[in-house]
Amino acid sequence: MAEFGPVIGVVGKFLITFSFLFSLAAMVYYFRAANNDNQKFLKVGNRLFIVKGLLMVAASAVLIDLILDHRFEFYYVFNYTSLDLAPKYLFSAFYGGQEGSFMLWILLSWVSGLGLIRWTRDPYKAPVMFFLTLTQVFLISMILGWRFGDSYFGASPFRTIAEEMPDAPFLQANPDFVPADGTGLNDLLKSPWMMIHPPILFVGFAMMTIPYCFAMAALWKRKYNEWVGPALPWTLGSNLALLTAIFLGGYWAYVTLSFGGYWAWDPVENASLVPWLVGTAGIHTMIIQRRSSVAQKSSLLFAILAYVLIVYETFLTRSGILADSSVHSFVDLGLYNQLLVFMLVVTGVGLGMFFWRYKELPSPQKESKILSPEFMTVTGAIMLLVLGIIIILGTSSPIIGLLFNDNPTPPEISFYNDWSMPLAIIMALLTVVGQFLFWKKYDAETLATALVYPLLFTSVATIASVIFGGVRNPYYMLYLFAGFFAIIGNSWVMFRLALQQPKVIGGTLTHVGFGVLLVGILASSVYNRPLLDETMQNYNEAVRQGQVVDEQGFRVTQTVDMLNLVLNEPKIINDKYIVTYLGYQLDNQNRPGQQTYEVRFEPLDGGRTFYLYPEVYPMLTTSTASTINWSVDPDVRTGIFSDIYLYVAGSAYIEKRNEMLDEQNEMMQNVADAGTNEEQESSQSIEFTRGETVEVGGFSFSFINYIQADTTQLPENTTIGIRAQIEVNHFASGQQFLIEPLFAVFMEEGQSYVMSPPVNLPMYDLSFQFSKVNPQNDTIELTITGLDETYEEEWILIVAEKKPFISVVWAGTFLLMGGFTISIFRHWDRERKKK
Amino acid sequence: MKPKLILGIIAIVGFTSLLMINLGNSISTYTDFETAATMSGAHVPGTWDNTKEYGFSRETMSFSFYMADESGEVRKVIYPRPKPNNFEEADRLVVIGEMRDGVFYANDMLMKCPSKYNDADPADYAGESEWINASEG
Repeated sequence: MAEFGPVIGVVGKFLITFSFLFSLAAMVYYFRAANNDNQKFLKVGNRLFIVKGLLMVAASAVLIDLILDHRFEFYYVFNYTSLDLAPKYLFSAFYGGQEGSFMLWILLSWVSGLGLIRWTRDPYKAPVMFFLTLTQVFLISMILGWRFGDSYFGASPFRTIAEEMPDAPFLQANPDFVPADGTGLNDLLKSPWMMIHPPILFVGFAMMTIPYCFAMAALWKRKYNEWVGPALPWTLGSNLALLTAIFLGGYWAYVTLSFGGYWAWDPVENASLVPWLVGTAGIHTMIIQRRSSVAQKSSLLFAILAYVLIVYETFLTRSGILADSSVHSFVDLGLYNQLLVFMLVVTGVGLGMFFWRYKELPSPQKESKILSPEFMTVTGAIMLLVLGIIIILGTSSPIIGLLFNDNPTPPEISFYNDWSMPLAIIMALLTVVGQFLFWKKYDAETLATALVYPLLFTSVATIASVIFGGVRNPYYMLYLFAGFFAIIGNSWVMFRLALQQPKVIGGTLTHVGFGVLLVGILASSVYNRPLLDETMQNYNEAVRQGQVVDEQGFRVTQTVDMLNLVLNEPKIINDKYIVTYLGYQLDNQNRPGQQTYEVRFEPLDGGRTFYLYPEVYPMLTTSTASTINWSVDPDVRTGIFSDIYLYVAGSAYIEKRNEMLDEQNEMMQNVADAGTNEEQESSQSIEFTRGETVEVGGFSFSFINYIQADTTQLPENTTIGIRAQIEVNHFASGQQFLIEPLFAVFMEEGQSYVMSPPVNLPMYDLSFQFSKVNPQNDTIELTITGLDETYEEEWILIVAEKKPFISVVWAGTFLLMGGFTISIFRHWDRERKKK
Repeated sequence: MKPKLILGIIAIVGFTSLLMINLGNSISTYTDFETAATMSGAHVPGTWDNTKEYGFSRETMSFSFYMADESGEVRKVIYPRPKPNNFEEADRLVVIGEMRDGVFYANDMLMKCPSKYNDADPADYAGESEWINASEG
């Protein structure tokens, strides 16, 4: 039996296998139905399609059951879950790995297919379902796990550990071995955002298949116009889902990862952005095709390309080809060839059909004028495509970079920024002109008149933000102008439209959102500032001017954007806040060993005090007995105008834990180098604020207050003479002492001298000197001699950034989502009424 | 041919060549410490040498560690930021920066984390004596 794995796994494999066979059968029937316009075959195809999906639902139920049951003999369960995983994450572990995510993709695509069966009209019905089933056949083949000799066709989610690693020694010792616990889910992924991100992304993937199917059906049936109507709401829905997924991913990265941003041009991010861009291009041409019966070729092409790009993305991210250029990790399941075939078939069939029919595709009778909605919309769509192509080029650097050298790195971030900025400027300007023309007829003269006010307001907004934002770069000024123009110009159109036909404002609203997004992107990325104290700022300024050299005499070029905070010692940051570290709490509830640090911000301009609670926790899945892998969880204070983003990069606690671990390791290795340990300093200086108590070496010392020194005992020319009241507690004996060491400054022959005579506690061999007063922050320094333990300061190292206008980026995204949603309702409504 | 078409072709060819030239310039090649000494913004892949000391220093406010490049040469790397989150688990590092006097000053650092799943050894998760028999298998 070991050959097949536990029974329930065999059941799961059979379910998937039958689902695959039913898909193949459905495909055949759909093909015949489409080819012969045969309704009977179509009905059989539909039944097979429904059964196939039900089988996949059953297989998913089996997998979820295995996960909930902690059946760790299954590799998938072992890999992505563990006993201590919360139930909600157990459920999301179903699509946490590649195999399960394929299943989710198939299920969602099947549900879309049910919608198509219900709503699609002839003559598209059968061919649309044929192409949808074709993609499903490929997707299901990825999780078949059929064995041919030593190789597998597809990676089954139901394979056992024994199948996964047949040569592992512990399995040869005991073939029935079952791990007691799984490896668990990566801590970074334990986030509600990451739980809902994949399903939404796959909704987008599944729905983007549909415009492709419609385009192919249109080419097959030579009906090049009518398909756009039913395809539009699906494309819009897919775009909304992809946008939401991109937003969730960005937001997750922002609040969970420590790179401090929402976008890094990582291949994985790009891979979901590009289909979105091309899908958006498709929406543009489909809308203009519906309106004016033009751009049939572009609509077909974009609908095909959008899905081809989704498959290309899947290929890039899941074949292991991006392994070196992306920070995201992907398990290479050996699906490279299968994914490659999938991609080539989808692309080959799509583009092949397109070019085969190319000659008979409708062409525009006459060229459209520049100032026409057709020209503007198609130009906008082409701009989106160009932007998409540029991003694909950069993302494909492991392949395309081979043109330049043998071992190519990913392109610099500036490549993406340099190219997307001018395109964004052009697109922003086009949106306004396009929207004006779309809703009303203008010639050059009347258009210029109509744009007077929007241009005026745009100029005012740009100048105001240039002045208040301190924008120096003329390129940024132009970009801001374009962004504001998109916001104001499109709002202008939108408000007029909202009075007449509020249902159709979806398009203008998305364009307003686009403008807001552009302005937000610039404001949040260019004006991002680290929060630093004055010393650090001066140091960084000196580094920038090339004045700092290191010990070897090299010029230091790296600025330091970190902040050291000592417990209860306030620091003034960026001349705006008084920042104080207030301590930490150890918390074992969410994540064992987690520290929650408390940092107080008091705005100097009298704003309300607020607190941030960054966390640090040991990442259990990767920590071992000899090293702790500390992971940070930033805290973000969200504001309308700016966010404050902060994480703890190190602390006295973490350092101590690491040192303890090091000592332990050394003891284990039996390296007796105790002699090299530094001798404890016999004398140490400790800083106190008034009222503070410090515990060290079996004593506690409390600085109670200052008292004026009795001047009769001091030299004549004393300028300062104070004593500090220090309460000393010896824990072991419970004895208490009050000492009052002196700090005095006196003048003699024009020179000032400090007098701080030691105060002794002979029975404990301790002596105290009041060695310094820091009037700036109301602290004193006490030098204590004779303690056999060094007082360790409680400090944290934080990385804090002020991020202006991140909220504007989110706002722009939400407006885009809102616009898409309105458009979906509008186009859906119209399609329904056709019946 | 129509002049419009020619203009269009010129524009497309011009745009494409500009794009490719720019792309070529922004893609560099992975290299090792030895050649990195002669260039700026070098991408050096390698692995962390965990036998030598590493850590963040509060005096210099930088994270330093030793890395072996792909030819096996070990060099000290200084990174002016806190230790990245998943430094220890990375099985491959790429440091981007300059080599000066035998020390590599990284302005940026990428970590390629294996999927922890790939190398996970079920035997590690077995506990002491909790060998369970999958007898129904």
